[in-house]
Amino acid sequence: MKHYDVVIIGAGSVGVPLAWQLAEQGSRVVILEQEASWGRGQNRAAIGGIRATHSDPAKIRICLESIEIFKSLESKYGFDIEWRQGGYMYVAYDEKMKQQFLSLLEIQKKAGLNIDWIEPERVVELAPGIRADKLVGGTYSPGDGYASPLMAATAFHKLAMDAGVEFRFGVRVDSIKKEGTNIVSITAGDEEYTADLFVNAAGAEAADLAHLAGFELPVFPDCHEAGVTEPVQRFMEPLIVDILPDADSGNYYFYQANTGQIVFCITPRPQIWGRDKDSTSTFLPLCVRRMMELYPRLRNIRVRRTWRGMYPMTPDGLPIIGYPEAARNFLQVVGMCGQGFMMGPGLGRILTQTIYAGGNFDKPAGSTEFGFLFDELSITRSFEHAELLK
Amino acid sequence: MNRVQHHPILAEPPHRKLVSFSFDGMTVQGYEGEPVASSLVALGIHTFSFHHKDGAPQGLFCANGQCSQCTMLIDGIPRKSCMTPLEEGMDVRTLKGLPALPAQDEPLVQAERRSIRTDILVIGGGPAGLAAAAELGKLGFQVLVADDKSKPGGKLVLQTHKFFGSEKDCYAGVRGIDIAGILENNAKRYPSVKILPNAPVVAIFKDRKAGIFLNYESYLLVDFTALLVAAGAREKALHFQGCDLPGVIGAGAFQTLVNRDMVRAFKRILIVGSGNVGLIAAYHALQAGIEVAGIVEVAGRINGYQVHADKIRRMGVPIYLNTTIVRAEGTDRVERAIVASVDERYQPMAGTYRTYEVDAVLIATGLASCNEFLQQARSYGIMAVAAGDAGEIAEASSAMFGGRIAAHRLAEMLGKRTSVNPEWEETRQVLASRPGDSYERSPIVPSKEWRPVFFCSEEIPCNPCATACPAGAIHLRPLRGNIMDLPYFDGSRCTGCGSCVAICPGLAITLVRRVTDDQAEVVLPWEFSADFEPDRVFELVDQSGKYLVSATVHAKRRVASRSTWLLTFRVPVDIASRIAGVRVQAEDATRWLEQEDTACIDLDTPLCRCERITLGEIVEFIKANKIRDINQLKTLRVGMGACGGKTCTQLIMKAFKLAGVDPSEVEPATQRPLFMEMPMSAIVNEGMHKLGGKEAGSRGAP
Repeated sequence: MKHYDVVIIGAGSVGVPLAWQLAEQGSRVVILEQEASWGRGQNRAAIGGIRATHSDPAKIRICLESIEIFKSLESKYGFDIEWRQGGYMYVAYDEKMKQQFLSLLEIQKKAGLNIDWIEPERVVELAPGIRADKLVGGTYSPGDGYASPLMAATAFHKLAMDAGVEFRFGVRVDSIKKEGTNIVSITAGDEEYTADLFVNAAGAEAADLAHLAGFELPVFPDCHEAGVTEPVQRFMEPLIVDILPDADSGNYYFYQANTGQIVFCITPRPQIWGRDKDSTSTFLPLCVRRMMELYPRLRNIRVRRTWRGMYPMTPDGLPIIGYPEAARNFLQVVGMCGQGFMMGPGLGRILTQTIYAGGNFDKPAGSTEFGFLFDELSITRSFEHAELLK
Repeated sequence: MNRVQHHPILAEPPHRKLVSFSFDGMTVQGYEGEPVASSLVALGIHTFSFHHKDGAPQGLFCANGQCSQCTMLIDGIPRKSCMTPLEEGMDVRTLKGLPALPAQDEPLVQAERRSIRTDILVIGGGPAGLAAAAELGKLGFQVLVADDKSKPGGKLVLQTHKFFGSEKDCYAGVRGIDIAGILENNAKRYPSVKILPNAPVVAIFKDRKAGIFLNYESYLLVDFTALLVAAGAREKALHFQGCDLPGVIGAGAFQTLVNRDMVRAFKRILIVGSGNVGLIAAYHALQAGIEVAGIVEVAGRINGYQVHADKIRRMGVPIYLNTTIVRAEGTDRVERAIVASVDERYQPMAGTYRTYEVDAVLIATGLASCNEFLQQARSYGIMAVAAGDAGEIAEASSAMFGGRIAAHRLAEMLGKRTSVNPEWEETRQVLASRPGDSYERSPIVPSKEWRPVFFCSEEIPCNPCATACPAGAIHLRPLRGNIMDLPYFDGSRCTGCGSCVAICPGLAITLVRRVTDDQAEVVLPWEFSADFEPDRVFELVDQSGKYLVSATVHAKRRVASRSTWLLTFRVPVDIASRIAGVRVQAEDATRWLEQEDTACIDLDTPLCRCERITLGEIVEFIKANKIRDINQLKTLRVGMGACGGKTCTQLIMKAFKLAGVDPSEVEPATQRPLFMEMPMSAIVNEGMHKLGGKEAGSRGAP
C-alpha cells in the first residue's frame, strides 16, 4: 500500500499539468496511466489550437490562464513547444453569420477577451488566398494561438517529473475501495494506492472510472479525425474556423503550425459516437473539399498523415469540474469536449489554487474567487444550455 | 550524358524521345517519361535540395517513392523527382528550404469521389502479388492488383542476372527481367484479374476501403472484401557519419537507376553488405561500366550465396570481411568513403582505417518487410494475408510460391473450397532456405572428352544445370533429396554443348577437355560485351578470383536463349580445371589510401533524415525524458517527416541502446495513414484543371 497526497488517474492533457502544479506546491503526487507513456490518449490527438475565444465565462477564464502557462513554457522554462500567437479567426460568408458573431462579441468582450470584428480586407490580409467572394468578414482574437500538443505534453511531463511527480504507466484501475462517500484506495496494476485526494482526469474513460466509484458521469466520447500536411513557407497566420455546416459535416478548422504544416480537423455530421480510433475513408475527401472550397490555394499542399481521436462530450458541451456527492474526495476534471489540451494547464493552475485554499466537497473553490467556475461546470447542473460557440 | 551504353544484357529501350527541360534555369535534356531524378543523375546532378532546417544537401536515396529525399520543385510544386515522369518543357528547380505554396487561388472546380469494387485487393504486383493474382483469378475471384510502379514485376524488372531455384518451379536460369513478363502474362490470362500500374496504396481504412493515389494525380477508393499484401520490402538504412550525403543510396535504388533507367549513375562505388543484394549490385555495376572498389561486410562471413560472392571476386571485386564503413565524405555529395576493420565488438580498430575515392556508397545491409498494410488491416479486423517479402524476406522464387499459397489461404477464408498444394509449402521453404553446408570437390584431370567442372560447393536451392543438360548427365547428389543438393557430373555423355554453362546463375560451371599433351580448352560464361578485339588478353582466375594465367580467346559463341556468351580459351592442361572465370575489372579500381585514425562522430549525424534529428539529440532526449515509447520521439519530430518513419524506424533502437534502454522495454511506433503524401487536389479529384502546368486528374478511374 502506497500513500500519496494526490492520486491522479490519467496522464493526459489535464492530469499532467495538474500534477505538476500540485507537486510544485509541495504535494506528493502519483499519476496512474493505462497507456505506455504520457499523453497517449486524446492529448496527442489534439490538433494544437489554443483559444480563450469561447462564449462561456468559465471557459474563457480557464483558457486565459492556459495561454499564460503555454507562453511561460517557452519564456520561463525554456521548452520549445512551437507556440505561436497567430490568433483565431472565425469567418463569415453571410449576413446571418455576421449577426451571430456580433452578438457573441458582446459576451466575449465583457469576459475580458481581446476580440473584434474584422472586415473582409483584414481577413484576406491575415489569410492571403482565402475565398473573397461573398466574404462579409470575421472575428479575430489575436491573443489566441497554437502549439504542438506533443511538445507541450512532453514539457509538462518533464516539469512534473522534475517536481517529483511519480508516473505509473501501463496500469489500469482495477478497483476503487470506498467507505461511505469517500474513496479509501484505488488498486491499479497490483498496487493499492491511498491518498487524501483522488482526481479523475481519465478523459474519454472518465465515465467508466466514475462507474467504478459508484456514480455516473454524463461523458460520452465521440470521434473526430484530423490531418497534417507537409510544411511550406508561412502564408497564413490565424487558426481559421468555418462554423457553417454542410450536408455531411459541421464546422472545420485549420491552421499553419509554427513549423509550416497545415493541421486540420472537421466535425462529422451526424456525430460518430464511440471509441473507435481507426481512420475512415470518409474524412479526407470531406475535410479537404471543404478546406479547398474556402481556401483554394491549399490544392497543391500534400497531406502527410491523418489520425482520429475522441472528444469526451457532455450534453451541453461544457466540462464537468467538481467533487461528486457519491465520492466526495474524488475531484472530477472531465468532459473536456475536445478542448482538454487548451483547458488542461489553466485548470491545473486554478484547481491547485482551490485545493491549497481548502477546496473540498463542501466548498469546492475554498477561499478563492473560483466559486463561479464550480457552479457553472458543476456535475449537478441541468446540462440544458448548450454553449453558443463550441 | 552518363548513360549506360551497350549493356550486355539489357537492350536500349525503344522509342525513347529526348526532350528539353529546364534545371535551375538551364536548358538540359533527358528522356521523356523517365523519372526526373534519373534524367538529372544522368546529367551528373546529384544534389536535389537543401534542407530547410540546416541547409544540408539532399539527393536520391531510395529511388522507390518512399523516402522523399529526392523532392524538388517541379513546375512550382514540391514533388518526388524519382516518381515524376519527365515531360518536355518541365521546370525543375533545386528546392532550397521550405517550398512556397503557389498562389493558385482560382476556386475549386468539381470535386468528385471515385471508387471501384473488387473481391480481393492485392497490394503489390511483384512476384508474390502476380503469382497470387493468377491463382485467385483461376479460382474465379475478382482481383485488383495495385502496383506503385509503371510496370508490374516488382524488383524483378531490375534483375539482369539469371535466377537460382529450379526451372520447373520458378524459371531458374531465366533473368529476373524476363520472369516479370511471364508472371504478368500468367495473371492477365484470367479476365477477372485487373492489374493497375502507377497505383500506390496510400491507406487502408476501417470501413474496408483502400485509398490509391492513382497515376500519382488522383484518388481512387477501392471497396474490397479481403486484402492480400504483397508490398515487398524496403531497404534497411544504415547510420554512420556522412550517411545523409547525396551518393549514399540503397543498393536497390542503384539497381533502379542502372538497370531500369539505364543511367550510369556513378563512376566508382563502394558497397556495404555482402548479402545477395549487395553482391548482385556489384555485378550490375560492372555490367553498366561502373567500377566497384569493394564490398565491405562487418560480419566474419559472406552473408549471401557463396557462388554469388565467388563470381564477384572472380570479376575483380574484393570482399572485405570484418570491415565496416566509418564515414562518407564530400562537399555536396560523396567524394570519399572511409572504412576500417572491426574488433569482436564491431568497433573500428586503430591502424586499419583506409580511404576509397568513390562517388557512391551503396547500402545493402538487408531488407525490412513492408507489412504496415497487413498490420493495419488486421488491427481493423479486415481479412488479410501477406505473401512474399511483405511476410518474410526471401528470394523472389520463394515469393512466387508464397503468393500462390497465400491466394489459396485467402480463398479458404472467403469460404471457397480449396486447399493449398502441400508441395508448394515445401518448395517455398526450400527456395527460401539459407545456404547449407559446403563440400570440397575432388580435383578434375581433363581428358579428351568434354566435361563440366563445378565451382559450386555450398548448398543453395538451385538445380537448372541438372535440368538443362540435354544428355541428362548432371545429377544432384541426393543428400537432402531436394534442390539444395549439389550437382555432379555422372562421368559420361557430355557433348560440350554448354547448356549448363550458359544457364548457371552463379556462373559457376566451366567445360574442359584436353586438346594436346600440355594444352586444354576451357569454356567460360561471359555476360559482358563480346565486342572486343581478337587479340585482347584476358586474365583467367580460379574459383575465388586468384590469378592463374593470361590468354586470348580461342573461340566464342552466344547462347541466345540465355543471352550469355561462351568463351573458349586454350590454357596449360595442369591448370585448366581450376580456371573458373575471367577478371573483368582492373585491380586499379580497387585501390585505396591509408588513412589516419579519426574519431567516429556519428552522434552528430542525422538519424531521422527527413527532419534531420541527430543520433546524439535523440539519445539525450531519451535520457532526459526517460523515454520508453518510440511514439514520444515524435516530440523531436522523429518519424514525423515526409517518409513517415519508414527510414528511421529501422535505426531507432541504436539510440535507445546508446541511452542505456533495453530494446525489449520500448513501446513500438503507431502507424497511421497516409503512407505516401498526396496533394489535396488529388484527394478531391479536382476536375481537369490546369494546375502548375500539369494536367491533374485527367485520367479517369479504370
